Amino acid sequence: MRSAALVAMLAAAVAAGLGVYVSPVSAQSAAPVPLAIDGDASARPWHRYHEWPQRDSARFNTLATLTSPPAPTAPRKLARPIAGDPALGAKLAADRARGGSCLACHVMGPAGGADLPGNVGPDLSEIGNAKLDDETLFNFIYDARVYNPDTLMPPWGTHGIFSDEEIGHLVAFLKTLKAPARFKSELDDPAKRPPPVEKRDNLDSMLNPAMWAVDEKAPALWTEPGPKGAACAGCHRDAAQAFKTWAATMPRWEPRLGKVLGIEEFVTRHAQATTGHAWPIESAENVGLAVYLRFLANGSTIAVDQESAPAKAAYERGEALAHHKVGQLNFACVDCHGAGRGAGKWIRGQWLGQMRGALDHYPTWRTSLQATWDVRKRFQWCQVAVWANELPPDAKEYADLELYLAAQSNGLKLNVPGIRH
Amino acid sequence: MAEKPRIKVPKEAKKGEVVEIKTLLAHPMESGLRKNEAGALVPRKIINRFTCEFNGTLAFACALEPAIAANPYFQFTVRVEESGTFRFTWIDDDGTAITADESITVS
Repeated sequence: MRSAALVAMLAAAVAAGLGVYVSPVSAQSAAPVPLAIDGDASARPWHRYHEWPQRDSARFNTLATLTSPPAPTAPRKLARPIAGDPALGAKLAADRARGGSCLACHVMGPAGGADLPGNVGPDLSEIGNAKLDDETLFNFIYDARVYNPDTLMPPWGTHGIFSDEEIGHLVAFLKTLKAPARFKSELDDPAKRPPPVEKRDNLDSMLNPAMWAVDEKAPALWTEPGPKGAACAGCHRDAAQAFKTWAATMPRWEPRLGKVLGIEEFVTRHAQATTGHAWPIESAENVGLAVYLRFLANGSTIAVDQESAPAKAAYERGEALAHHKVGQLNFACVDCHGAGRGAGKWIRGQWLGQMRGALDHYPTWRTSLQATWDVRKRFQWCQVAVWANELPPDAKEYADLELYLAAQSNGLKLNVPGIRH
Repeated sequence: MAEKPRIKVPKEAKKGEVVEIKTLLAHPMESGLRKNEAGALVPRKIINRFTCEFNGTLAFACALEPAIAANPYFQFTVRVEESGTFRFTWIDDDGTAITADESITVS
């Protein structure tokens, strides 16, 4: 390790002495930072992580495409009254293979004997008393947009998740719901369930393995010379000093790329231009350095530019993307994480956080997955979870979205790496 | 490839003091019950024993089972009567022993 550091410094000294290399530039200096402009910062074609669901959702919107079938303009007329089986409907309502089950968002009395129902949608425990006709109930499930264009509910019929016959069973089941839900405990009642509070010391490497990047991996990479003979340390000897606040200003608009640049993509392109290291987004090296660079700015107030003209435009694009419905389940970011929508409510046993504060602890350790995730991987997972195809992590849409989301946390203090379930 | 074990032992203690020790080893603790994409069982590979010796005398030991999560973490206490060295040993199913030493000054 020590000899590697020496070699790195020597190499950097030689490079500087010969004048063949970029002059030492601090991250804050006005001189343009060397960046590799050509090519992508992650694999093309992008292949989904092999341990993730491999479902192909190409028929539905992504953040970059509009391919979902259009919303119907009028309720469907039923040719004959519904003759569904309430028992089959109860089973379907609890079927987690169909986009998470109705209980993910609705309290439904005794349905499925459910523990921990969610409360993003209204409580349906007494819907059977509402005297709604079959056609209305059918259309609410088939595609609720015909009654409410702003509905959060997936268009189960239009998007082909439930067949007409299955929706008939669900309607028959709904008509049997006539008594207030009785919860087994306070925890089962989403109105009384306490939001999760993260109390672990996220900077204790005995508790948070993401800190190992800070303790060992990133400092080792810092002094490791790349194919061009230089190492990070050649220009940025005192990393702690040079990057005391930098990460709190990222992402930012990069005119040479014509897109917003996040830390992860910056690491890829800057390393390529300076040391020659190949550290694509989502490589272990890239994640380690992204953790380290943000850790160095811990305690700094997040202050992402959203005022300059190109940043403002990117912010507005990001805001539009946050409202863009994607996937077979047809969700936008704001549906789950927007105030007055899903934020602060429960999808089954999972609490939906608001946008402010969502980014101040990324990259973060996921205890349930034993892995450190950067924000782009988190975006990708959100997409796959709503049955949409994800974009490559360096997609310009994610970049705009990251700027929008980071700006929501302006004024908060960076606290990286986080630790979350 | 293996991560260095993380160990917390106080540098100093008074004679007869009970000191707290924390250790953490990065290890996948593969249970042997999971299947890979091809449907075949992923072979078991866990740390099956952990010991802590103080100046050559066993101070703490435990057996680990497949249900124990990745990155096994131990927190335990030892009464120290003299200065010396703790030796920590993790035994892997494949026979590898990972060891680390930490010394303490007792006054």
